[in-house]
Amino acid sequence: MNVGLLAQSLLAGITNGLTYALIGIGLAAIFKGSRVPNAMQGEFSVVGAIVVVLLLTGHGWPYWLAILCGGLSGAILGAFIEVAFIRYMIRNAAPEDSYLLLTIGIGLSISAAVLYFFGRESHLLPGFGSDNLYIILDAVVREHVIWLIAISILLTIGLRQFYRTTSVGLKMMAASIDPVGAASIGIDVTLMRTFTFMLGGALGAAAGILITPIIPVDYMIGLQLTLKGFAAAILGGLTNPLGAAIGGLVLGIIEAMAIVGVSSSYKDVITFSLLILIMIAMPQGLLGRAGRTGG
Amino acid sequence: MTAKKTYHGRAPAAFALIVAGVAFLSTPAAAQRSGAEPFKIGVILALTGAGAGLGIPERSGALLAEKIINSKGGVNGTPIQLVIEDDGSNPDGAISKANSLIHREKVSALIGSSQTASTVAIGGLTDPLKMPQVALSGLGPAIERDRKCVLHVAPSQALNAKAILEYASSIGAKKLGALYDSGYGTVVYNELRKLSDAYGIAFVATEKFEISATDTTTQAAKIRAAQPDAIVVVGVTGVPIRSLRQLQMKQTIIAANGLASYETVKSMGDAADNVVFPEFLVGEDPLPHQAEFVKLFHKEYGRFPKILEAVGWDAVHVILAAFKKADVGANNEKVCEAIRSTFKGDMTDYDFSADDLNGIKLSNIVYSKLVAGQFTRLPFQAKEK
Repeated sequence: MNVGLLAQSLLAGITNGLTYALIGIGLAAIFKGSRVPNAMQGEFSVVGAIVVVLLLTGHGWPYWLAILCGGLSGAILGAFIEVAFIRYMIRNAAPEDSYLLLTIGIGLSISAAVLYFFGRESHLLPGFGSDNLYIILDAVVREHVIWLIAISILLTIGLRQFYRTTSVGLKMMAASIDPVGAASIGIDVTLMRTFTFMLGGALGAAAGILITPIIPVDYMIGLQLTLKGFAAAILGGLTNPLGAAIGGLVLGIIEAMAIVGVSSSYKDVITFSLLILIMIAMPQGLLGRAGRTGG
Repeated sequence: MTAKKTYHGRAPAAFALIVAGVAFLSTPAAAQRSGAEPFKIGVILALTGAGAGLGIPERSGALLAEKIINSKGGVNGTPIQLVIEDDGSNPDGAISKANSLIHREKVSALIGSSQTASTVAIGGLTDPLKMPQVALSGLGPAIERDRKCVLHVAPSQALNAKAILEYASSIGAKKLGALYDSGYGTVVYNELRKLSDAYGIAFVATEKFEISATDTTTQAAKIRAAQPDAIVVVGVTGVPIRSLRQLQMKQTIIAANGLASYETVKSMGDAADNVVFPEFLVGEDPLPHQAEFVKLFHKEYGRFPKILEAVGWDAVHVILAAFKKADVGANNEKVCEAIRSTFKGDMTDYDFSADDLNGIKLSNIVYSKLVAGQFTRLPFQAKEK
C-alpha cells in the first residue's frame, strides 16, 4: 500500500467522520437537553443547506449572510418542533419511544416537502475560502476540507464550553438532569428545552452548510445523515457532544480503512462488526460512564 | 370586515370555475366526444422512494405522450387515459397498485415499473392474464424471458456493458478502473467482466459503493493508485464522478447511461467535464427521428428530455401501436401477438420479438460527452460485430 493512498484514505475518513460527528453532536445536544432521540437531525442539515442555496444562488445574497440565515433556519425549525409537538407530548407524559416515531414522521414530512418545493435535484454550495488544492503526502486536499475540519473542532470545543461556563448552558443541563429541581430554583424548564432544540437545529443546519460544498444535498440525504449521526452519537455516548464527535471520527476512519485494507464490498460489514465489538466492550460509549453523564 | 372575508372566500371558487371552464374548452375534441369511455392504460412508476429519480422523469414522458396522442384524436378515435400510480419503489406496493388497476380500473394494458424488482412482481399478475405490460426497466431475471406479454423498452445490461467497452476500446484503453454501485452498477459490472476479455481489456481496479453513498473518495483513491487508462462509472448519482475528479484524475470517465441526466450532471458540479456516456438521446443535438419529440418536450417542460423521459413516451406509443394493429377491443392474446414485432420509437428502434425482448442494437447507441457540464454528441458509433 503506498503512502499516498493511505494518506488520501485517512483524510477521506477524517472528512466523512467529521460529517457524521457534526450530525451526532446535534443529536447528542438534543438528547442531552430533552431525552428526545431525534430521528430527524439530518433534516435540519437539509433545511439549513437548502436555505443557503436559495438565498445565495436564487437571490444573490452575500455568502456570509446566507450562511447566517441557514443556521438561523435550523434554530427556528428546532424551536417550532419543540413548541408545536414535543411540548404537548411531554405534557401528556408520552413514553420515550413515541418521540422516535414523532421525529421519524416529521423527518419524512420535511423530506417530502423538500421534494415537492425544490424537486429531486441535488444542490452544491461553493467551498469556503478559495478553490485551492493542496497536496499533503501525495493526497489531494481541497481548501474547504481544511475549513470543515477547523470549524468542526471549534464547534465541538465551543459547545463543551457553552455547557460548562455559560449561564444558559448550565441551566439547560440542570433542566435536563433534574427538571423538578431546576424548576424549584427558578429555571424555566420549558424554555430551556426550547433552547435545546434551537441549539440542536442550529448545529444540524451548520453541519448541512459545512458539508454541502463536498456532498450534494437533496431531499433524500437527511435520513442517511441521521443514521450515521446516530451511530456516531451512540458510539461516543448519546448525552455527550464531545463523545459524538469522537464517535464520528472513529466511524469515518474505520470505514475508510476497511475499504483500503479489505474491500469496498465489505465496508459496512467490517465497520458495523467493529462497532458492535466496541459497544460490547464499552457499553457506555467511547468516553465511558463519565462521558455518558457529563458534557 | 365581513364583506372582505366573503369576497376572499368566493374568489378561489370563482377562479376554480374559470380554470375548469378553460380546461374543458381546451380538452381535445376526441375526449369530449359522446362521453365515450376512454382507453385506459395503467401506469405504475417509482414516484417516491429510492427509484423516484427514475419514475418522475418517466412520468413526464408518459404524460406528454397522453396529451399529444389525445390532441391527435386518441387511438382509433377513442381518447386515452393514463391512470398513474406510485409503487413507492417497492415490489409489494407495485403488486397492490397493479391489482387495483387491473381489477378496479379495468385498464387495457400496463406500463411499468421503473425498477426491475417491481417489474417482475407486476409480471406475475399480467402474465397469467396475457395482459400487455411495457416495462421501463431492462430485462431482469430469467423468468422474464418466459413472459411473452412483458416488453422492455430500456436496454439490457449486457448491451450497456458492450457499449462501454466499445468506447474504451476505441480510445485505446487497455487497463480500466471501475467504480460501481451496489444495485444496477453490480449487474452492469458483472456483464463488463464477462465481456472484457473479448475486447482485450483488463480491469486493474474495481471498487463498489452503496447506492446511497455520499462520498466515495477512498474508493477513488484506490483506483487512482492503480493508474488505469480510463475509468468506468456505473451508478445513478454524480458522487463517484465528483470523487474521481476531486483527486485530480484526468483520465476519460465512461459512465453508464443511468448517469446521463441533467440532475446528475448538476450534482457533479465542476466535475462534469470529459465524461462520456453511451446513451440514446442528446436533446441539444438530437437525431433526425428524435427532433419532433425533443421539440414537443422542450415546449411542454422548458428543458430537454433524456433516456428516462423518452422511455416513458415510447412506452405509451408502443401500447397504442399494438392496439391499433390488433384493433381496440381485441382480446389480450391478439394484442400480445401484435406487440411482439418491430417498433420505431423516438428513443430508438425496437424489435420486441428478439431474444432480449427489445432488440435494441449496439448501433442504436449514441455517444455523448460532457463538456463544461453540457452534453455534446460525439461522432463515434459502435458497430455490431
